[in-house]
Amino acid sequence: MSKGIISAVMAWLRRLRVLTIKELLQFVRDPVLLLFMIWLFTGNIYMQGSSVSMQLTSASLWTHDADKSTASRELFYRFRPPYFRHDGEIVHPKEGLRLLDEGRAMALLEIPPGFEEALLRGEPTAVQMQVDGTHSVPGLLAASYAGRIVGEFGLEAALANEGLTAARLESVPVIRDEQRVWFNPNQKDTWFMPISELLEGITILSILLPAAALVREKERGTIEQLLVAPLSPLQIMLPKVLAMTAVILVGVSLSLFTVILPVFKVPVKGSLPLFYAVTALYVFANAGLGLFAATLARNLAQIGLLSLLIVAPIILLSGLWTPPEAMPAWLRLGTLVSPLRHYIDAAYGILLKGAGLELLWDSILALGMVGWMIFAFGVWRLRRQLG
Amino acid sequence: MNLRRVHAVAHKEWREVLRDRLFFTLAFVLPAVFMLLFGYGLSLDVENVPFAIVDHDRSAASRDYAYRFIGSRYFDFQGYVPDERALDPLLKDNRIRVAIVIPARFEENLLAGRAAQVQTLIDGTLPARAATTKGYVGAINAAASREQLAEYLARQRGLSPKSARDRVEPVRLEVRYLYNQSLSSLHSLAPKLIMLILMFVPPLLTAVGVVREKESGSIYNIYASTVSRGEFLTGKLVPYVGISVVNVLVLSLIATQVFGAPFKGSLPFFFAASVLFVACTTAIGLLVSLLVRTQLAATLVTVILTLVPALDYSGFFMPIPSLSPEGQIEAHLFPAMYYTNIVVGSFLKGVGLQTLWVELVVLFGYTVALFSVGYFLFSKRPRA
Repeated sequence: MSKGIISAVMAWLRRLRVLTIKELLQFVRDPVLLLFMIWLFTGNIYMQGSSVSMQLTSASLWTHDADKSTASRELFYRFRPPYFRHDGEIVHPKEGLRLLDEGRAMALLEIPPGFEEALLRGEPTAVQMQVDGTHSVPGLLAASYAGRIVGEFGLEAALANEGLTAARLESVPVIRDEQRVWFNPNQKDTWFMPISELLEGITILSILLPAAALVREKERGTIEQLLVAPLSPLQIMLPKVLAMTAVILVGVSLSLFTVILPVFKVPVKGSLPLFYAVTALYVFANAGLGLFAATLARNLAQIGLLSLLIVAPIILLSGLWTPPEAMPAWLRLGTLVSPLRHYIDAAYGILLKGAGLELLWDSILALGMVGWMIFAFGVWRLRRQLG
Repeated sequence: MNLRRVHAVAHKEWREVLRDRLFFTLAFVLPAVFMLLFGYGLSLDVENVPFAIVDHDRSAASRDYAYRFIGSRYFDFQGYVPDERALDPLLKDNRIRVAIVIPARFEENLLAGRAAQVQTLIDGTLPARAATTKGYVGAINAAASREQLAEYLARQRGLSPKSARDRVEPVRLEVRYLYNQSLSSLHSLAPKLIMLILMFVPPLLTAVGVVREKESGSIYNIYASTVSRGEFLTGKLVPYVGISVVNVLVLSLIATQVFGAPFKGSLPFFFAASVLFVACTTAIGLLVSLLVRTQLAATLVTVILTLVPALDYSGFFMPIPSLSPEGQIEAHLFPAMYYTNIVVGSFLKGVGLQTLWVELVVLFGYTVALFSVGYFLFSKRPRA
C-alpha cells in the first residue's frame, strides 16, 4: 500500500520534472524573448538607474534684476546647484514669460527697484517668483527651496541690522534642525531606481510569461495533447509556473551581480537568501494572476493586452511612483490586495534597510496570503475551463 | 498606390478587429480605464507622511514645537515614542517615514536666549520623497524658529510683536504659479496621461495585429497577392490610426470634463498634432512587428520600447533639465517629450503653432522616417 503511494508520488514528480524541462526548453529557444529578458534585467536597469531621477535638480532659473545692487546680486548668487541652475538674466519681464511658455525656464525671479535700500533701512520688502505650474510637484519643490533661500538671506540681513553676526548666532534663541537621512544618507537615486526597475521587471515577466505559456498551448491546440495525457490541471499549470520562476530568479541574479551590486554599489544590508525566497513567493503569486488572465483569453494578442491591463495599474499604483498615502481611500484599499505593494515593503526592507523576518513577517504573510488566494482562484478557473 | 486595394486591406483589418470582441473592447476600453485609474491614483502630492516624536524635554515649548507637525496636513502623527532606539524598527518596518527628536533642555535653552537643537530622522529609501519631506520639515522649523526670534526681539528691544516679526523676516517671497494657479496635481497630470496612453496603446495594437498574420501564416495570402508593400502597410495601419484618433477625443474629454483640466490652446492645432503623434506611435508598432516573429515578443518589446521613454524621458514626472546629461539626450531621441510639450502647451499654457512648431516638425520627421524604415524592412519575399 505504502509502496503504491510512493510510486504514485514519484510518477507525479517525474511528470512535473519532464514538463518543467519542456517549458524551459521552449523559453530558451525563443531568441527574441531571451534577449528581451536579458535586456530587461541588465541594460534597462543600468539605463534607468544611471539617468533617471525623481528629484528636482538644476531647475532652470532666469532672473530679472530691477535693483542692480550688491544685495540683489548676493541673493541671486545663493540660487545655486544642485537645486537651481542660473540660466541667465532678462531685461524685460515679457522675455521671461516667453521663456516660460517655451518651457525653457522653470522659474523666474524678480527683484524690485529699491530692494537694497529697504533692506538697509529695515523695512519689509518682497521679491517675486513665477513658477511653471505645469509640473505640480517640481513646482512646489522649486518654491519651497526658493523660500528657504530667501528666508535665510532675510534672516542674516536682519541679524546683521541688529548687530548680530553669524558668529554670535549661538546667543539668539533660534531652533536649529539637524536632518539625517537613514538607509540612503545622500539620497542617491542610483540606490533607489535600479531596485525599483528590478521589481517592475519581475512583475511584468512573472505575470506575462506563465500566461503566455498557457495561451500559446491554447492557440496552437497543443493543450488538447495535455488534456488527454494523464495530468491534472494542477500538473499542467505547476510546471509552467516553476519554469518561469526559475527563469526569473536567474534574471534577478543576473541583474544583482552584474549591475546593481558592482555598478551602482547598492549596499545590501539584509539577507540575500531571504530576498530570493520572498521573490519566489512573489513570482508564484503573480503567476496565479497570469494564469487567471490566461483563462480569459483565447489568443496571444488578447493576452498581451489583458496582461497590460493588469500590469500597468499594479506597477503605477504600487507606491513606487507616488505615495500611497496620497491616494483616495478606495484605491489605497485596492493596493492592499496587490502583491507588489507587500513585495516592495519586503524587498526594500531587506535590501536597503537590513530588516529581517522579525520585522517583515507581516508583509511576507500578507504576500503569501494574497498570493495563495490568487493562485487558488487561477487553478479553480482553469480546472473549470479544462474540465 | 491603388486606393481600392488599400481600402480592401484596411477593411479586412477593421473586420478582424471588430470580430475579436475582447480585442475590440480593449482597444477602446483600455485607454479610458487607464486614464481614469491613473488620474485618480497617481496623486503626486506628498501628504500624510507618517511620523513619530521623541520628546526628551517634555516642556511647554517642546509640546508647542511638536504641535506644529501634528497639526500639519502634510504629516500624519503616529504617536510619541520613549527613545531613539524604539525608532529603528518603526522606520525599518515602514510604520513611520520621519521621526523628530527634541533633546532635553530645549525649553531652557530657548528661554535663556540660546540656540536650541532638534533632530530629524528621515527614511531615505525613496530619495524623491525624502527630499520633499526634508523641505516640509525645514519650512515648519524655519517658521518656529522665526517666531522664537521675534518674541525674543520683542522682549529685548521692546518692539511690538508685529514689527518684531517684520524685523526677522525682512524679505518675503511672493510665489505665483503660472498655467496652474492652484498647483493641482490632477490638472498637471491629465494632459500628460493622454501622452502616456497614446504612446503605448496604439503601437501595441498595431504590433500585435501585424504579427498575428505572421504567426498564423495568413500573411502568405498577402505575399501571393497583387497588393504592393506600400498598399499593404498603409491599409494595415489606417484602422489603428482611426481607433487611436477616437481615443484622442475620448481621453481629451475625460481630461477636461471629468478631471476638470483647462484647455487653453487651439483645438485644430492640438487635433492635428495628435493625429500626427498617433500615426508616429502606430509606426513604432509597425517597426516592432517587422522585427519580431511572435505576438508575445511583440507585446513585450513594444511595452518596454514605449513605456520607458513615456514615463522616464518625457517630462512626465520631472522636467527634462532635471535629468542627467545622458537622460536629456535620450529624451530628445524619443517622440514622447515633443508630444508632452504639445499637450501641456495646448491644455495648460495656451500656446500653439507659434511656439510649438519645432515639436511638430520633429514629430513629422519621426513619422516619415519610421514609415520609410518600415517600408524598406517589409519584404514580400522574406528570407527563410
